[in-house]
Amino acid sequence: MSDSAVQGVLYGSLAAGAIGMWLATSPRTAALRVLGAFLASAGLIAAVAMFSGPGGDVTNKILFWLFAGSALLSGVLMVTSREPVYAALWFALATLGTCGLFMMQAAPFLAAATIIVYAGAIIVTFLFVIMLAQQQGRSFYDYRARTPIMSIVASWLMLAALLWNFQAWQKAPMAAAGPALTAEAATNPFSQPSDVDQFDSLRALGLSLFGDYLYAVEIAGTLLLVAGIGAIAIAPRRAEGTL
Amino acid sequence: MTADSGCYLAVGAALFVLGGIGFVTRRNLILIFLSVELMLHGVSLTLLTFGRMHNNLEGQSFTIFMLTVAACEAALGLSLVLSLYQRTKSLDVDIWSKLSEPDLPKWDKPVQPLESRVLREERPASPRLTKAGGLPEIDDDFPVELATSTDPRKILTPSPPDDDY
Amino acid sequence: MSPATEHLVLWLIPGAPLVAALVIALLGKSVLRERSHWPCWLALATSMVCAILLVTKLAPATFESPDESVIGAMATGYSWLKVGGMDVRIDLRADAMSALMLTMVTSVSFLVSVFACGYMHGDKGYPRFFGAVSLFVFSMVMLVLSANYLQLFIFWELVGLCSYLLIGFWFQKPSAAAAAKKAFVVNRIGDMGLILGIFLIWDTFGSMDFANVLFDADNLSLIAQDHPTRMIAICFLLLVGAMGKSAQFPLHVWLPDAMEGPTPVSALIHAATMVTAGVYLVARSTPLFMYAPQAQVFISCIGATTALIAALIALTQTDLKRVLAYSTVSQLGYMFMALGVGAAGAELATAGATAGMFHLVTHGVFKALLFLAAGSVMHSMGDVIDMRRFSGLRKVIPVTHWTFLCGAGALAGVPLLAGFWSKDEILAVLHEAGHHSDKYGNIFTAVYWIATVTALLTAFYTFRAYFMTFWGPERTPPEAGHHPHDAPPAMAWPLRILAIGALTVGAAVAVTHLFAHYFEHTPGFEPVENHVFHVGLMVQSGLIALFGIAVAWFMYVKNPGLPAKVSQGANFLYDLSSRKFFLDEIFTAILVLPLRGLAYLCFMFDTQVIDRIVDGIGALPRLLSAAPRLLQTGYVSSYALMMWVGALACMGYMLGLFHQ
Repeated sequence: MSDSAVQGVLYGSLAAGAIGMWLATSPRTAALRVLGAFLASAGLIAAVAMFSGPGGDVTNKILFWLFAGSALLSGVLMVTSREPVYAALWFALATLGTCGLFMMQAAPFLAAATIIVYAGAIIVTFLFVIMLAQQQGRSFYDYRARTPIMSIVASWLMLAALLWNFQAWQKAPMAAAGPALTAEAATNPFSQPSDVDQFDSLRALGLSLFGDYLYAVEIAGTLLLVAGIGAIAIAPRRAEGTL
Repeated sequence: MTADSGCYLAVGAALFVLGGIGFVTRRNLILIFLSVELMLHGVSLTLLTFGRMHNNLEGQSFTIFMLTVAACEAALGLSLVLSLYQRTKSLDVDIWSKLSEPDLPKWDKPVQPLESRVLREERPASPRLTKAGGLPEIDDDFPVELATSTDPRKILTPSPPDDDY
Repeated sequence: MSPATEHLVLWLIPGAPLVAALVIALLGKSVLRERSHWPCWLALATSMVCAILLVTKLAPATFESPDESVIGAMATGYSWLKVGGMDVRIDLRADAMSALMLTMVTSVSFLVSVFACGYMHGDKGYPRFFGAVSLFVFSMVMLVLSANYLQLFIFWELVGLCSYLLIGFWFQKPSAAAAAKKAFVVNRIGDMGLILGIFLIWDTFGSMDFANVLFDADNLSLIAQDHPTRMIAICFLLLVGAMGKSAQFPLHVWLPDAMEGPTPVSALIHAATMVTAGVYLVARSTPLFMYAPQAQVFISCIGATTALIAALIALTQTDLKRVLAYSTVSQLGYMFMALGVGAAGAELATAGATAGMFHLVTHGVFKALLFLAAGSVMHSMGDVIDMRRFSGLRKVIPVTHWTFLCGAGALAGVPLLAGFWSKDEILAVLHEAGHHSDKYGNIFTAVYWIATVTALLTAFYTFRAYFMTFWGPERTPPEAGHHPHDAPPAMAWPLRILAIGALTVGAAVAVTHLFAHYFEHTPGFEPVENHVFHVGLMVQSGLIALFGIAVAWFMYVKNPGLPAKVSQGANFLYDLSSRKFFLDEIFTAILVLPLRGLAYLCFMFDTQVIDRIVDGIGALPRLLSAAPRLLQTGYVSSYALMMWVGALACMGYMLGLFHQ
């Protein structure tokens, strides 16, 4: 495809996605909303397809589109679902899709950790949703999206800007960044390739964490502890018969 | 940039933006919370891709810290949601709008409690847990009194409804 | 006496009352309470002793000094203010004039404070009273001891403040509060003149020290030649100040109202610590006034006008203290008349100032006596002072009666009593001035005749008050109770001592010309070669006084019905006198009402223009915030959306930066 055709498809699919989002959020009939959700995710996927696709063999490509598609679709559905429980479930699916993408980006440990952490968190959240919101029946506030048009316009503008930027990079990876940034990238330690051979090994990540970032890891652990204590302190004591 | 990174970045950006839309449009405290997590996913994916592009592990390390902070945030956020819920018996975030200018017209029409036909014609089929265990019957006035009270001590330590309990 | 002792004596005169005031202010309410008079007594007695030391030892020791500027006693203080070429020092200097005045001020104040112990007994503000009296005496003493005009002005103001505090001592009474305010405000008019005069002195002489301005005769004549009009302006401005403080027409209106304060305060104000300040200022500035004869003639004329008008008003007042108050105004007019005779010839200036200051001293003694006696009457009559409500008290309160008689005789000018000598000296000086000067002769002759007529009126109204109070059928108001009692010892002894003073002080120092000889040593005054008595004038004024007394006796003892007939016959004149020539009403019409109108205009300007502007400035931010405040919805979602848009803007800006 030519450049202009790519541009046209990209922005056209983005526009379709925006319309789909609007359909999905605004209180129409259920069928329209489902249609809108699919339109939105289809638009997003089409926009993604305009970028250089995943390398590797066919399996790789299939896996990518599976994960990316499920992540985007469940993301759209999570945002627009009127039922908090379903929204939570869609979020879980989006997490799974994202973790698949993590795996494909040579981060198996992160994928596993994210699933564990978020699955735990999701279960807890899920329970909360059910116990709190569904106790007295369904809640009216889940049925009304607040300022949907303004937020969709703003968000889609941001998305378009980001994608346009990625495209520019794709065409001229370094030139687009300008000479000063290119020079800086040459010396920036975060831009240097790692000297480890096994890029996707847990051992390499462990060396990086407990070597380069030892203090940060300790501080993060402390932070976690403090947050746990804080959560216990903040949470109201359970009164008899109430949550 | 390696040849296959563009699509990952695009997916990350799309997830981030979707989370943003959810954050703005949802009114349920917990779903707002989940939207933030979705945004975090998008950012994590982008960071990982950048790390892959540079052939180093900085992106992964960073994402692990993000995970940690997200866990902290989840713990604190949920306990805050819980205490907010204790006060109002509702997860509606719009109840907490005390910072507004006093005589301002509201953005939204005041929402009626759900007795609308929309609700009736749509399905009431959400999964629901059965009541757990043998909790005693709750006096109907008790939670209402809790909810209207503004004295935090009263909310935290209400007098037990039954003395010989 | 060593210089150190000299300093100590000089500093003790104002220092002791100041310390007493501080002690009473700090401890009076909690510790001293009914003993609050002790620090005051002690301090005033110390001051009195030191003043007597000064007048008898310190000052005479320097009289033969070749250097005229150091005559008297000097105690250096400290430099209070130093701005550019101006160095204002707080110093004490005393010469013959201030020494004489200090003696009178401190001794009268001491006796008044002793009297006040009995008079104020049981009052709630007992400590406050003695604290204020101590401060009052301190201010007056410092005023007299000042070595420069600015220091004088400071204590001049402090005297005004103390008078405000004491006149309004019973501030719960609306009339007392109003009288205090009136005294303060009227004094402000005079004070404005004084400070303007001082500014002009500084501008003209480059100094405010008496030594440079007054006592340096060569410099003074040089400057007077260069700036003749300026000298006149200075003198008139100083005169305005003196008129305010010394209650000269038309600024005399505050003094009769000052009766609202406790009687000892009236005695202090009228005799010792307040009204004499103006006379002192003019007498002190005589060397300046010598170069402004117009101002001096004006002084005499104002004095004559005041004396006559006050005497006429005093004729018909029924309030005993008010009669005395107007007599004070009248006697101050006498002093001013005498101070102005320098216009008739330089050689008369010393005699005039001597006469004026002599009258000030004798008047201080007998007027204090009269006021204290009136206070004693008031005390025994249960705070009733209207002479129509009591009479024939000479058997009821004998001590008060006899002492009042002494004071009344002295005031009326009965031969050989204090007032006779000093008033006679003034008349003699005026008489001489009338014959001496070609230019102002006629004026001084007129003033002389006014003074003579006023002397007659003085004798009449004084003894009218005396006869109305102490003669006639014995009547007491119900407020006095069944057995009105005479003054207790604390009140009786000051009365007796002052009565002796009123009887003797004139004769003792006038016959021998002791006062005049002493006074001549004041720097800036030319000594007088020969002192003579004008026997003819003495006989004349004696006869006039006796005639006035006889008329009073005839009208108020012999024919008690006569005054009513006279007032019926001369209805308009009677009204004119008893209503004080409608001066208060005139002042209200020509000063108070226009000022009130002006104040109303200012008020309207303030509320309608300035307030509107301020409100408008306040409304502007509100107007500007009308739009942004719509964003403050309180909803988390709207804030999130705004943050979102902000992030978008930042990102757009950065992308633009990268892809230029």
